[in-house]
Amino acid sequence: MSKEIVVAVAGNPNTGKTTFVNAIAGTRLKVGNWPGVTVEKKEARLEVGDVKVRLVDLPGTYSLSPFSTEEIIARDFLVKERPDVVLNVVDATNLERNLYLTLQLIETGRPVVLVLNMYDEALKRGLRIEVEKLEKLLGIPVVPTVAVKGEGVREALETAVRIAGSVAKLDGHVSYGEEVEKAISEVEDWLLKKGSAVLGKYPTRWLAIKLLEGDQKVSEETGIRELPDLPMVKHLLSAHGELGEVLAEVRYGIASGIVRESVHKEDARPDLSEKLDRLFLNRYLGLPVFMAMMWLLFKLAFDLSSPFVDWLDGLVAGAFTETLAWGLYKLSAPEWFQSLVLDGIVAGVGTVAVFLPVIFAMMFLITFLEGSGYLARAAFVMDRAMHTVGLHGKSFIPLLLGFGCNVPAVYATRVLESRRDRVLTAFLAPLMSCGARLPVYVLFAGAFFGSRAGTVIWSLYMVGIGAALLLGAILQRLLFRGEATFFVMELPPYRLPRAKYLLVHTWEKTRHFVVKAGTYILAMSIAVWFLFHLPPGAKGLEESYLGRLSKAVAPVFSPLGFGNWEAAASLVTGFLAKEVVVSTMGEIYGLSSAEEDEIPQEFPSHSWGEVFKGLPLAFVEAGRNLLAGLYPVSLEPDEAEASLLSRIREVFTPLSAYAFMVFVLLYVPCMVVLAAFYMEFRSLRLTGLMLISHFALAYGLTYFLYQAGKLLGYGG
Amino acid sequence: MKLSEVSPGMKVKIIRLGQGFPALRKRLLDMGVLSGEPITVERVAPLGDPLEVKIKGYRLSLRKEEADEILVEVVS
Ligand SMILES: Nc1nc2c(ncn2[C@@H]2O[C@H](COP(=O)(O)OP(=O)(O)O)[C@@H](O)[C@H]2O)c(=O)[nH]1
Ligand SMILES: [Mg+2]
Repeated sequence: MSKEIVVAVAGNPNTGKTTFVNAIAGTRLKVGNWPGVTVEKKEARLEVGDVKVRLVDLPGTYSLSPFSTEEIIARDFLVKERPDVVLNVVDATNLERNLYLTLQLIETGRPVVLVLNMYDEALKRGLRIEVEKLEKLLGIPVVPTVAVKGEGVREALETAVRIAGSVAKLDGHVSYGEEVEKAISEVEDWLLKKGSAVLGKYPTRWLAIKLLEGDQKVSEETGIRELPDLPMVKHLLSAHGELGEVLAEVRYGIASGIVRESVHKEDARPDLSEKLDRLFLNRYLGLPVFMAMMWLLFKLAFDLSSPFVDWLDGLVAGAFTETLAWGLYKLSAPEWFQSLVLDGIVAGVGTVAVFLPVIFAMMFLITFLEGSGYLARAAFVMDRAMHTVGLHGKSFIPLLLGFGCNVPAVYATRVLESRRDRVLTAFLAPLMSCGARLPVYVLFAGAFFGSRAGTVIWSLYMVGIGAALLLGAILQRLLFRGEATFFVMELPPYRLPRAKYLLVHTWEKTRHFVVKAGTYILAMSIAVWFLFHLPPGAKGLEESYLGRLSKAVAPVFSPLGFGNWEAAASLVTGFLAKEVVVSTMGEIYGLSSAEEDEIPQEFPSHSWGEVFKGLPLAFVEAGRNLLAGLYPVSLEPDEAEASLLSRIREVFTPLSAYAFMVFVLLYVPCMVVLAAFYMEFRSLRLTGLMLISHFALAYGLTYFLYQAGKLLGYGG
Repeated sequence: MKLSEVSPGMKVKIIRLGQGFPALRKRLLDMGVLSGEPITVERVAPLGDPLEVKIKGYRLSLRKEEADEILVEVVS
């Protein structure tokens, strides 16, 4: 068997790279991260004839400059790992800017195939591209493709395999012009004479060009800080000051020359994007339209998925659990084992399951927004507001989704390009008060604030936003001091994404959540089960490890107004999911006695019947939710809670109840958010920092609130 | 004058880029914002910032503070 060849796929963002790679690899695509960084890495292994191919998708970049993480990854891979061939996906409707990268790819010395994608759109816009001429001018093979239809995709891959490993020849097709070429060869000669050890690591011509450009990263890596006195280099430097701009100008000059000769505009068609932008980016209508779109996004993401959340919850907690309980009973498994399986493992599986519809819906919508081109417009409209607090216009979307659920919010930070913005936004998103906190507010605000409960709950949402502003300001000073950020962003043409593209992308992400984050969530659920149920023979929660732990830490919370162990215990379990705070309190106060479910004596066929009947109903309900307004939130406590209310009134005062709610809002993101965050950023340091900073912020704010309240005489 | 001072619809040409922020400068160069290049401001965002410009046949948005770094002159 022949050896495996490595094919790298590179190109500008929005050129159809993802579509192209999916069209080739389909389900064989594996998604991971580049080592140590937060950038997604996609790979697939396939066979072309009898050649084994490893396809690696490089991050979308405009250039191979050493500034953004994406650009560094792409160029390190090209220069250091030396793929056997590069497939350069370009947007045929915007060839000039795309060729700027192509020229840099050719510079790396790897064989390159130009994948002329969006060929259908180019034709529609009346562009006639002379493919053969383009091949001649660039000196590389060119394959027109329509990735969404899979046209030309196979041919592109076969061409790549054919020229793989061949020595890229720069036979004067792409020349930087007399003066610059002379300077390049001067540096090359000097390098060869110097016989430096770094020579083996880089293609010589590439290295010479980078040194001329004054590339900082290359200087650092090679230790070559200055060029010697070379006549042409000196001449150019004295004429231009620095050569970065000269080389950019030369490359663009070549690109526009090539476009002028090989692309002909037959007739100017009206541009649909221009018309749409007149509405979407309108001075007066832009903002209202944006609000409407965001409202729709939120509604679709959460209302549409909520019936399915309930259905899955019913499936796992009902039929599935009952069946397992019945099975375990038949096998006469020991009671502790039944409890571990049912309350630990199955409950953990349930936790993962109920997030699936939300993540699926959210990823679908975000992918649609991104693929359609509206996402960039949303950033354009919102950037002014977000920039005043040091964030990017696109940060608005993850933060908004956070009000529904923080987990998809963390995943939605993917829309941001720079690592700084992604990390910052993901840090702040869990401070947006999500739906799972609402039951806690409803219980406590209902118990203490009566008719003003609504106002109190509203104020908590504001506290969350305020805390995010505060933490954001702190993080920018501590974590990202002096890190350059800029907005400079392409507004891509509007396009209608295909259903298949949306589904593949969405499915990938959802599977990623189940497999990766799910493992951690399950492990944590089991750990918490042990806290609840050990040591053996503990009677009630108070004697369990959870009770003991809570008693030990309770004094820490005294200055915040709730130094009782019951509150501490519910905070510990609130880590599983914030709404669990309520059920733990119920359990501790012995009211909703710890789910003494009957062990079913027979196969629970009735429950399965419910599940099967429930699925179509969930669709109906989702449809109804779409048409109806926001789902109503009942502020009326139900009966089981009524007795819990009176117990809570004995333990808390209005002030300490408010303090408790603020604390529950802020103290830690729930474990699902934490698992998602870790899987997205792959950094224990950042995950730890998030835990600590949120906890410190919560403690500080609550302390201040409670003590100030006491001083003002609102009772202790 | 600076690109940030150009009103939508005016025809201008880039004279040079500021040297203040090397990373921004490099990004702009990579995006084709080069001296000599014609550029038009298409519109300003509803909240007054950023700008949308058209250059090399595609649309680019940038903040006013970034447009401050781009010096242009009016072409007749
Ligand atoms: N008309 C047309 N649209 C395409 C083609 N390839 C991709 N697209 C669309 O272009 C948009 C961006 O594609 P995507 O694969 O996400 O680009 P990437 O950012 O380079 O990964 C999506 O809406 C695609 O459906 C094509 O060949 N023709
Ligand atoms: Mg993509």
